[in-house]
Amino acid sequence: MNSDTQTQHDLQGILHLGQKRMATGMPDTDWQSVTRQRGTAGVAAMARPDRKQEAWRYTPLGFLDQAEYQPIVEGPFDALQLSDIEDLMLAEPPAIRLVFVNGYLASGLCSMAKATSGVVLSSLAGGLGEVPAALRQQLDAIAEHNHVFAALNSALMSDGALIHLAAGARLDGPIEILHVSVGLEQPGICHPRHLIVLEDGARAEVIERYCGLGDGTYFTNALIEVSLGSDSELLHQRMQEESVHAQHLSDLQVRLGARSRYQLTLAALGGAWSRNDVRVTFGGEGATAQLDGLMLAGDRQFNDVHLVVRHEVPNCTSRETFKGILDGSGRVVFDGHIVVSRDAQKTDAVLSNRNLMLARSAEVDTKPQLEIYADDVKCSHGTTVGELDPDMLFYLRSRGIPEHQAKQLLCQGFAQEVFDGMANPALRARAGKLLAARLLESA
Amino acid sequence: MMLSIKNLKAEVEGKEILKGLDLQVGAGEVHAIMGPNGSGKSTLAHILAGRDGYAVTAGEVLFNGESLIELAPEERASRGIFLAFQYPVELPGVNNTHFLKEALNAQRKARGEPELDSVAFLKLIREKLAMVSMQPELLKRPVNAGFSGGEKKRNEILQMALLEPKLAILDETDSGLDIDALKTVSDGVNALRSPDRSVILVTHYQRLLDYIQPDFVHVLAGGKIVRSGDKGLAKELEAKGYGWLSGQDEAA
Repeated sequence: MNSDTQTQHDLQGILHLGQKRMATGMPDTDWQSVTRQRGTAGVAAMARPDRKQEAWRYTPLGFLDQAEYQPIVEGPFDALQLSDIEDLMLAEPPAIRLVFVNGYLASGLCSMAKATSGVVLSSLAGGLGEVPAALRQQLDAIAEHNHVFAALNSALMSDGALIHLAAGARLDGPIEILHVSVGLEQPGICHPRHLIVLEDGARAEVIERYCGLGDGTYFTNALIEVSLGSDSELLHQRMQEESVHAQHLSDLQVRLGARSRYQLTLAALGGAWSRNDVRVTFGGEGATAQLDGLMLAGDRQFNDVHLVVRHEVPNCTSRETFKGILDGSGRVVFDGHIVVSRDAQKTDAVLSNRNLMLARSAEVDTKPQLEIYADDVKCSHGTTVGELDPDMLFYLRSRGIPEHQAKQLLCQGFAQEVFDGMANPALRARAGKLLAARLLESA
Repeated sequence: MMLSIKNLKAEVEGKEILKGLDLQVGAGEVHAIMGPNGSGKSTLAHILAGRDGYAVTAGEVLFNGESLIELAPEERASRGIFLAFQYPVELPGVNNTHFLKEALNAQRKARGEPELDSVAFLKLIREKLAMVSMQPELLKRPVNAGFSGGEKKRNEILQMALLEPKLAILDETDSGLDIDALKTVSDGVNALRSPDRSVILVTHYQRLLDYIQPDFVHVLAGGKIVRSGDKGLAKELEAKGYGWLSGQDEAA
């Protein structure tokens, strides 16, 4: 038996175990069975990625052999009280907050503002009442199984936020989706699945956070589908602040309608192993995507972002700015891929990846790629890898700021350009504080 | 003596820049150090502030009786040494107010003084802003990023006013300033003059000395102080140029 068969068995083992535990039946979720079947077929058909696949060439998956992940397929996990997650809350908690614990909605921790017209908030497992037909139909409409983990998510999806804004609906404040993972006796794997649908002209702000309570080992395997109608706008702020021993994989798939505007700000700060796949496809002319991210890889942290932006129609604009901060034995992988198809004339795309190395022992693998089939476009990319500027350090120290504090200030400054894209001030502040704390731990 | 430099020799990348420099600065005194380009003026300023990359090969530098050479830049700063940079460094993403507060509190902490909270700090910084006629908006921006030349220099003087050093070293602070900015910067320096605070003005031109009256003027050439005098020496230099001294330099 070769090792591939063995490891394939591991993921299939998770699938089978999960399905067995799930079988006890949730009658009101039959509408999900098509998605689950597609997922099951995908897991059976796809091997565990290895280094021969370009998209996984630099992503180590050895951790899968280290732990036997137990699929978490039952909720809710209602042992937690609000006071338990105080440290994980934003300083000014949004009026709408959906809290998931180990992948399942924890009703007691949620906060629901009064209903806004045209806005539907639902949850996959039915914890917020029956899921409306409009959302049922949209589930799995966008998701591609680009790797076995996405298929595994479809097969075992636990729970998640389903958000629907009707044409023209506008939300004033943000919706927060907060994941809390509690370490269990055996490392668990959960499969959050979110769906955000904005019909034509709708506008929303969504904060999506993944936190660990304590420093347990667990694996979050999330998949998020986002569909934006014409002239709609979504501010999507994501923060990965998992426990230092956690594995986190997020597969975000976005489809943009004509003249829509999508702004993603990602702060990937936690976890021992973290990978964010971001796939944005332009499906209508005149749309704009602003995608920014900050990846922290402190000592013994691995942080990976794979970005695919597909310009398939003319006159769309995309800006991608991803920054990495590395220390100790930290590793960052950035793969930014912009595809401009033959028809996508007048595409305007700028991709940038900048990395700050605090230690020579850290490693960054960066690969920006432009793949252009149209002839009238404005596209560019740039990559830098550098150390802290000694002139900047001396300037700060000459003002009395000790060296370690000066380094921290400069790192925060480097990250600030990304954090500034977060519309929510409390989130921005939390990102800055968390970065400082993690840098300190790493030093 | 606040600052006592004796026979200071220093090199950069194996090249000797300071070749036995002597300088004594008493409390409350303003000393101007003038000299041609490449004479070692900026090197002296940077060595006093503790910049890396200079090897001191001989001599001593005592600040209030304590040797400076072994101290880290931040330790010198909290003992009261301040360098106003010729080219203030831009710090993208680092908020100016945050930076100023961190700097002040780091120094206070190092001296065992209580740190200022945000309210007390904002009150203090507002007073200092008025002193250097700086736009309050510049406090909200990243440090020096996108500042004009004059704004950068004002920001240096603002930092000096806030940190209240015992010895301020101004490295070519007058370079690149128009006459209004020069006047504001000079007013800021003059406002800080006191019997227990000393200033070293490093400058290529006599112009700054019209606004900040020095007690002593020194000419640095070839890595040494080749001549010292009162402010009359500056006038003489202005009239005759540095070439006038080069012969003496060789002789000395």
